[in-house]
Amino acid sequence: MKPAPFEYHRPETVAEATDLLAEFDGAELMAGNQSLGIVMANRLATPDHIVDINGIDEIQYVDADGEAVEVGALVRHRDLAASDALAETLPMLPEAADQIAGPVVRNRGTLGGSIGEADPAGNYPCVLVTLGGELELASASGRRTVDAADFFVAYMVTAIDEGELVTNVRFPTAPYPPERTGMAFLEQKPAAQTWPTLSAAAAVRVDDPGAADPVVERARVGLANAADVPLRVPDAESEVEGEPVSGGALDAAGEVAYDAVDPQPELHADETYKRELAREYTKRALRTAYERATT
Amino acid sequence: MSADNTPGVEERPTRDVTLTVNGEDLSASVEPRLKLSDFLRQHAGCRGVRVGCEHGVCGACTVSVDGDLVKSCLMYAVQTDGSQVRTVEGLAEDGSLHPIQEAFHEEHALQCGFCTSGFVMSTQALLSENPDPSHEEMEDHLSSNICRCTGYQNIYDAVERAADRLEDLDVDP
Repeated sequence: MKPAPFEYHRPETVAEATDLLAEFDGAELMAGNQSLGIVMANRLATPDHIVDINGIDEIQYVDADGEAVEVGALVRHRDLAASDALAETLPMLPEAADQIAGPVVRNRGTLGGSIGEADPAGNYPCVLVTLGGELELASASGRRTVDAADFFVAYMVTAIDEGELVTNVRFPTAPYPPERTGMAFLEQKPAAQTWPTLSAAAAVRVDDPGAADPVVERARVGLANAADVPLRVPDAESEVEGEPVSGGALDAAGEVAYDAVDPQPELHADETYKRELAREYTKRALRTAYERATT
Repeated sequence: MSADNTPGVEERPTRDVTLTVNGEDLSASVEPRLKLSDFLRQHAGCRGVRVGCEHGVCGACTVSVDGDLVKSCLMYAVQTDGSQVRTVEGLAEDGSLHPIQEAFHEEHALQCGFCTSGFVMSTQALLSENPDPSHEEMEDHLSSNICRCTGYQNIYDAVERAADRLEDLDVDP
């Protein structure tokens, strides 16, 4: 339960960090260390070099003023959960952050760490894929932007290259005007400290929240831990678009989700149970998002 | 236990760190892989920091670093250079138990006691932020700590008693 020896580096800028990654083959990035620390304690990872990015101020910010919401990779779950600006513009993100593990983990764990880990049960990967976010990656040779839909490749595998780090993520805000959009992120998990068995994310934009039966203009649905990557379910979205949300439309969206997922069976959650969770949580997330959009 | 490629002790890199533990400055030369939990026990004499699971699950090693509650087995001492660390040893003053410690005592909120310093530190952080937590808020906050003896009810009772005591005394946790 003690990690193997490693050399420690603490860069203060992204450029210093990427230079270190280029210099030391196989160096691991360390942010909040709430997952890497476990893996290293169990000697499932024994990196020779650790690049501790906790001192890089330039990737610790939330900017919700522009045409997109931009969040630095080193923002911690606790600070995302408490962000008034995000609660106003992109409430799915703080709602997802606030449900990660327990408060002590949330004090340290970061957005970028969770994205880089790319566990399909992770909250942020699901939010990114659901809302159509993109990621900015930096390396010693430059920067590039990758759509979230292309970033998560397979179970804990991403499109990131050796030598790259995630510096920030961006979410479009134009599709989600706060005054007529509702969002929800709902987890099913047996205990606070564990990973969720399944989570559902939904965003719903209506035409007129004051109308008797507001019509859904746009819906987004995503599921976590329902496949080997975070899974957006476009066919469930189209079931509720173009009309007011009704029980029948929600049932139809749930059935689509039941069929769309490809879940790994777990000790206390076999495949059928997880399909049933996908159905139920798709309905609940859409209903909650619709209610939030219309009140 | 050591694999063939593990360097000998004399070849391993070390770093100098200086930090403040319970108000006292402390300098040491440490291997980067030394966990803060082990550092606090071995170099700072803080045996109240319990080393339980050593991978972030049990919460027995919970301490405060620069005002934030952390699992000290998921930090390395090298990361706390320049930091202010507070452990359960920093709560009692002049040999008198802190009101939270008293409350744990009075409510029998422990049996074997292994988890207690972590729970006390978590309670201290909770009551600092939220002097009058609901039962649900207590459950949520203390979900970072595991007790395998008491079944938690006496711990929640102790948190309530501590909250009342601190309010009566009109002091910050």
